[in-house]
Amino acid sequence: MANSYFGNIKDAVTTIFEGLAVTASHLIRKPYTVQYPDRVPVRVQDTLPFRYRGILEVDLDICTGCLACERACPIDCIVIVVEKDKQTRQMLISQFDIDIAKCMYCGLCSEPCPTGAIHHTTEFEGADFSLESMIRRFVPEPIYAYKPSKGPETDPRIIPILNRGMRYVNEFAQPGGEKPAAEEA
Amino acid sequence: MSLRTEEMTLNMGPQHPSTHGVLRFVIKADGEVMREAIPDVGYLHRSIEKIAEKVGYHGFMPYTDRVDYVCAMFTNQGWGMACERLGGIEVPKRGEYCRVIAAEFNRIASHLLSVGTMGMDIGAMTPFTHAIREREMINDLIEELCGARLTFNYMRIGGVAWDLPPGWREKALAYLDHFDPIWEEYNALISYNKIYVERLANVGVINLQDAIDYNLVGPNLRGCGFKWDIRKDIPYSVYPEFDFEVPVGTGEFGTLGDAMDRYMVRIREMRESSKILRQALKQIPDGPVLAKVPRNFKPKAGECQVRVESARGDMGWYVVSDGSAYPWRVHVRTGSFAAMGMINKLSRGLMIADLVTLIASLDVIAPEIDR
Ligand code: SF4
Ligand code: SF4
Repeated sequence: MANSYFGNIKDAVTTIFEGLAVTASHLIRKPYTVQYPDRVPVRVQDTLPFRYRGILEVDLDICTGCLACERACPIDCIVIVVEKDKQTRQMLISQFDIDIAKCMYCGLCSEPCPTGAIHHTTEFEGADFSLESMIRRFVPEPIYAYKPSKGPETDPRIIPILNRGMRYVNEFAQPGGEKPAAEEA
Repeated sequence: MSLRTEEMTLNMGPQHPSTHGVLRFVIKADGEVMREAIPDVGYLHRSIEKIAEKVGYHGFMPYTDRVDYVCAMFTNQGWGMACERLGGIEVPKRGEYCRVIAAEFNRIASHLLSVGTMGMDIGAMTPFTHAIREREMINDLIEELCGARLTFNYMRIGGVAWDLPPGWREKALAYLDHFDPIWEEYNALISYNKIYVERLANVGVINLQDAIDYNLVGPNLRGCGFKWDIRKDIPYSVYPEFDFEVPVGTGEFGTLGDAMDRYMVRIREMRESSKILRQALKQIPDGPVLAKVPRNFKPKAGECQVRVESARGDMGWYVVSDGSAYPWRVHVRTGSFAAMGMINKLSRGLMIADLVTLIASLDVIAPEIDR
């Protein structure tokens, strides 16, 4: 009886010291804590991976007005209005709104986009004071939809945007693996 | 002879730090001993099953993340598998491997949270920070894989949405090399601590017959010494290709089926997951990761039931299709709900302070109870 009583005490003390040894070893290890937001060496946004699903953004220069993203969104937070310009017979995007407050950052909309126009950024600090300001309106005035040109005469201005867009699209797995696997074995 | 005092009714929750979400218990206590603890569920009911009938098969995938946000890969996989079985879609081999890799990482993360909060709930704060640190590293890996840390939405009907990024495999293997010694360190830190063992051993003992009667699953059932793991017993995905053990409770610290056994099963399962991951990362074949599924996915009328072994045990997905683009009925069967049903029985005669031990040892996750 007395033996097991003191045995218990001995066990408790030794195992506590075993635990404390682990804790003590952390005094000489590199700390893992990141003191967000004011004491980070680089902005957190810049350290996030390319696939990070932050607040959505649209590059209207390369948006074809295909509405694939609007259809893919399960909660209808994208609203696009596309009209046909009678004179030039081109597609005219007159409204492209995304309700950031409703969006759940699932990534289903950026997946079917053919040019990578709609994409997630690494921006995540979106707090604001009113719901109204959460609606991102990307079309200040009606703009012609992007039409891939058939020759080499792509507007040099949009080539970097297009490259970024295609890089984004290529991250997604293609059905049946039409593009080469991203990683070698 | 026992001395009785006036019965006291206490309310615990719904916002209590140790109830793992929004849970409420009505406790009838005699002094410090509970006569019963009646769980009151429903605070996190979000009609997820009904939402499925409105958003269609592809659009429901992000919602499955919310069924159990601690191990969302398994809910993703369950939904994906149910739709694939309805539509007769075959997932490419590499896709299945990607799924298993993501899911097993998620299992480690989920168990880390479980064993970490276990310590916190009974008053040991340090192990929690250790467990969370390891979990953060897994979250970083998964973030690189699919862009999110908690609500992954990684899988799609027919495979996964993103292939492994270049260099990810090496990072994952490096993490596993780092994780295995950490596992030993964590055990030295808390698992074999005498005071900790005393708090858990012989508390909330479940005998096997009760566990089966109350439909317990996963680590809770295995803690009673019964070897039942969907990955082994009703194999799905590519699990038959891996060599791993199913840890069961042994009663080494007290009675078989006590809280310590359930805890140790989780600790050992992390080891096994790490083993599966090493094999999967080594064997992963080349090829596509996503099958061709039409955007307007309409399975034939019919019904199916699939089971996946999530971190909280056997998770069942029952889907009825009427041939349209929207499921007619979806039902999710989760382990936490069954575990909640048993708390009342187990709490009789337990000290009030042991109730949190009991809840933590059953690893109940509030959103999974109600959906
Ligand atoms: S991320 Fe999801 S919720 Fe947000 S706009 Fe895209 S599809 Fe809709
Ligand atoms: S953002 Fe992409 S998917 Fe949406 S309308 Fe423009 S081109 Fe189509």
